[in-house]
Amino acid sequence: MLKVENIKKSFGDNQVLQGVDIEVNKGDIVVILGPSGSGKTTLLRCLNFLEKADQGTMTFDDINTRLHGASKQVIAKVRKKTAFVFQNYNLFQNKTALQNVMEGLVIARKVPKAEAKERAKKALDKVGLADRYDYYPSQLSGGQQQRVGIARAIAVNPDVLIFDEPTSALDPELIGEVLAVMKKLANEGATMIIVTHEMTFAQEVASKVVFMDGGVIVEQGSAKQIFTAPKEERTAQFLRRVLKDYDYVI
Amino acid sequence: MNLDLQFMAETFIDVLHGIPVTFQIVIVTLLVSAPLGFLMTVTKLGDGRIGRRAAAAYVSFVRGTPVVLQILFLYSLLPTLLNYLIKEVCGLSYNIFTVNPILYAYVVFILNTTAVLSEVFRSALLTVNKGQMEAALSIGMNRFQAYVRIIIPQALTAALPNICNTTVNLLKSTSLAFMMTVKDVTAIAKIDASFGYNYLEAYLVIFFIYILLCSLVQGVFHLTERAAAAYKKPASVRNARRVFS
Amino acid sequence: MRPFHPQYILETLPQLLPFLPVTAAIVVGTVFFGSLLGALLAAGKIRKGKVGQFLANLYIYVIRCIPSIVLLFLVYYGLPELLNAFGIDINDADKAFFVITTFSLLFAATMAEVFRSAYEAVDRGQREAAVSVGLTEFQAFYRIVLPQCIRVAIPNFTNALVNLMKEGSLAYTIGLIDIMGKGQLIIGQNQSSYSLEVYLALFILYWVLTVLIEKGAALWERGLYRELKKGV
Repeated sequence: MLKVENIKKSFGDNQVLQGVDIEVNKGDIVVILGPSGSGKTTLLRCLNFLEKADQGTMTFDDINTRLHGASKQVIAKVRKKTAFVFQNYNLFQNKTALQNVMEGLVIARKVPKAEAKERAKKALDKVGLADRYDYYPSQLSGGQQQRVGIARAIAVNPDVLIFDEPTSALDPELIGEVLAVMKKLANEGATMIIVTHEMTFAQEVASKVVFMDGGVIVEQGSAKQIFTAPKEERTAQFLRRVLKDYDYVI
Repeated sequence: MNLDLQFMAETFIDVLHGIPVTFQIVIVTLLVSAPLGFLMTVTKLGDGRIGRRAAAAYVSFVRGTPVVLQILFLYSLLPTLLNYLIKEVCGLSYNIFTVNPILYAYVVFILNTTAVLSEVFRSALLTVNKGQMEAALSIGMNRFQAYVRIIIPQALTAALPNICNTTVNLLKSTSLAFMMTVKDVTAIAKIDASFGYNYLEAYLVIFFIYILLCSLVQGVFHLTERAAAAYKKPASVRNARRVFS
Repeated sequence: MRPFHPQYILETLPQLLPFLPVTAAIVVGTVFFGSLLGALLAAGKIRKGKVGQFLANLYIYVIRCIPSIVLLFLVYYGLPELLNAFGIDINDADKAFFVITTFSLLFAATMAEVFRSAYEAVDRGQREAAVSVGLTEFQAFYRIVLPQCIRVAIPNFTNALVNLMKEGSLAYTIGLIDIMGKGQLIIGQNQSSYSLEVYLALFILYWVLTVLIEKGAALWERGLYRELKKGV
């Protein structure tokens, strides 16, 4: 469904992505792991054209495009097939929860208002915020805000949902509610690309795990293979470190 | 110290007639300067180097020189220049010297306020988190839609206190319009005072008038700010109000 | 249309420059007295006392609403009469006295806000941390809190200074001869025939002064910043 090849991106002298290929099929839950600064977030942002890659090609259903120099129409088309959940939620501060979710439907996709409202309510109900339609972001907890962020993303019925560290800005006690929503979506067959540091969650939901370091994909495979029998020493090292951190936290 | 109270009462009544003129200058100036200022902000934040430089130089000049000097300069330049253009260049016989001097006041204050507002708008736009634009793009809006629906409403809320400041300063600057023979609040007080050398009384009267006018402006902005910032209120306040209403 | 002589701008500048010290003296005098009063007002606002807070806020509110020229006229015509009531005669006082008085009253309100916001911008923990490692209250204030306050205050202070210099040009309306007043004199002597050129010369002077003040402040700020960094 979505295939991206040879993405390269640098900021000044810093080569953040040094030729990355990634393929996502319908129903896949791709979890991208890696130490900070390994280029995971930049990769996601390039997929949604929030960052313009220096090089690379994308095949997305019937769309075929280069990542740099894609036309406005193509970018708009890709953005309508994807939805992005941000690390710091990025809810529209001047809109209520319901308006946040409706915005992409009414303005970007020209869905009639009444229908958009129904769909937005359904999305908010799904993330467990049926009682928070009229709250502004500043009136919601971080976990609630991120759930609105997820509702905003799923309301537009995207082909692919992209999550950029959706829980790393949250207090530990709020992480669970967001992960629970994501797990529910995974079970319903949504296609997702997720960057996260939540290892237990990754093991549970991932159909494919990608390990990145230093701007390249070091290794990829099933969750079971990566977590129990990594082929590369770098992967094993990373997992030992983070899983140890986990023990420490507990 | 003897104050001529009867004179003060009479002057007060006289000066009230100047308030519409004062407000007329303030309102016309704001209405014209706001779009011009926004255009200038866009130029400043845009990619054109020449435009950016020119806008920066303009703002630096306007903010680096006294308003009174701008008034004196334009008031000695504009009438003769316009007269020359109309008579010699266009060959018309319109007498520019009969034109209402408030027009010159508009020109001076618009030139000035445009520069100030362009800075106000710029800093307001910069306060809006970059993520807001990204989120808007990510759900499929184009940049124009994002600006109109998400960025500008938030920027405007952030800008309101500064726009209020700008308006108060503009209101105060209009007190110099008498130099262009505009019959505003200050001009009327000066004329009244000059008959019997009652300057102290006359200025005391407009001292209070300006406090009133300024309070009015701030009151209006205060209400607007409250309405515009509804989305910033913490939940507890909002819910509390719901309970009581 | 009357002829325009750009060279007259250059001829005017040397005639204006001798009066730059007057303009500067007004600014310096105002900064001194205005800051003193401003510090007092800021103290009134920061402290818990209800009366002090009310008076300081009232003062700042009123001053914020008054056009400089109105206050200038009010002081010029009103202060002699007010002091006369106490038996003090200042009718022969220098024009500069009225100008500095007026602008000190105005500047104080601005400075009060500058001081207050600078004071509040520095985290309380800074003083506590300084005292906790054994500095005295005075040392904590002088070595830790004050330098940070100054850094916060520089941009606002610079703004206030530039505004003061620009507003100061109104002093010519009561007959003070600073650069603006001298410019008006030159125009008067020539029956207004060179007014545009004189105004342009004044524009240049004021613009250069503003840019100098702003550049100076930027250098000062950078210097302080470097010092802070070195300290770390």
